[in-house]
Amino acid sequence: MFTERFLKDKRGARLEPHERALIEAAITEIRTLAPRTTVAHAGEPLDVSTLLVEGIMSRYIDDRRGLRQLVAVHVPGDFVDLHAFPLKILDHDVATMTAATVAIVPHARLEAIMHDQPELTRKLWFSTLLDAAIHRAWLFRLGRLDAVGRVAHFLSETNARLMSAGLSDGRRFALGLTQTDLSEICGLTNVHVNRVMRQLREEQLCIFRSSLVEILDPVKLAARGQFKPDYLYLDPPSPASQESQS
Amino acid sequence: MSEPTPVNGPLSRAGVATAEEGVVMLDGPDGVAVTMTPDAAAQTGHSLISAARAAKQQAGREAGEDV
Repeated sequence: MFTERFLKDKRGARLEPHERALIEAAITEIRTLAPRTTVAHAGEPLDVSTLLVEGIMSRYIDDRRGLRQLVAVHVPGDFVDLHAFPLKILDHDVATMTAATVAIVPHARLEAIMHDQPELTRKLWFSTLLDAAIHRAWLFRLGRLDAVGRVAHFLSETNARLMSAGLSDGRRFALGLTQTDLSEICGLTNVHVNRVMRQLREEQLCIFRSSLVEILDPVKLAARGQFKPDYLYLDPPSPASQESQS
Repeated sequence: MSEPTPVNGPLSRAGVATAEEGVVMLDGPDGVAVTMTPDAAAQTGHSLISAARAAKQQAGREAGEDV
């Protein structure tokens, strides 16, 4: 099943089994992509959308000098460019960061779902609104936080999103991003990110080494990044999962 | 405890500049996080001092006008 993580544990938008089956049936192709593969170019007409099954993807905009700003990072379970369904032409590029597996859903199939399934349509809409909520948090991060705060916020957010996808235990997760990626996410230089990571390590908050993030103190890291997960619209963790993390 | 800051008002806390790997990093206040070459940092420093001097004179004049 390729849609297992889509809207998993999202408050008020969890898919019913028949809804999941409908999206599974709408998938026409599974693609395995190499790292750093651009899957959608800004300005090009699109007639399919991409559900991320495995790996990390991003949306980005390059400035006129070619310097890149990542405007979104996607984790498994994200319907990466569902917004391309109504927009048809994107204003940014979409690419893999790591090796990735994606499920392709033609817009014609989404059109049929929209016609016949109003409740599922609402949940697809929820998915794009969740992306918008994350964009607002990214604006806050870049506009209000200092360098350490920006990185702390991003790592706390990624931890929460990967926990929801079942890919973090709340303290450790694989993250195949480079220091340059972090700099393009947080609007910093490589040197600055290097210094921030050392500071986070020295303050016993977080270690990011060899594509593995270890959060030593999730509460303090979140506080340093002013991270509150409300905007991710996650279901509250079950008592059993809370016990397993303590 | 952080000081109250008026919405969109000037910040009264200073940023902190540090040198590392041959560049200068300026952190804070708030959302400021930039890396500059030594020359750019020195020019920015001179420009800041000059602007601070001018701003103090402006503030002094405005205080005088109020009397």
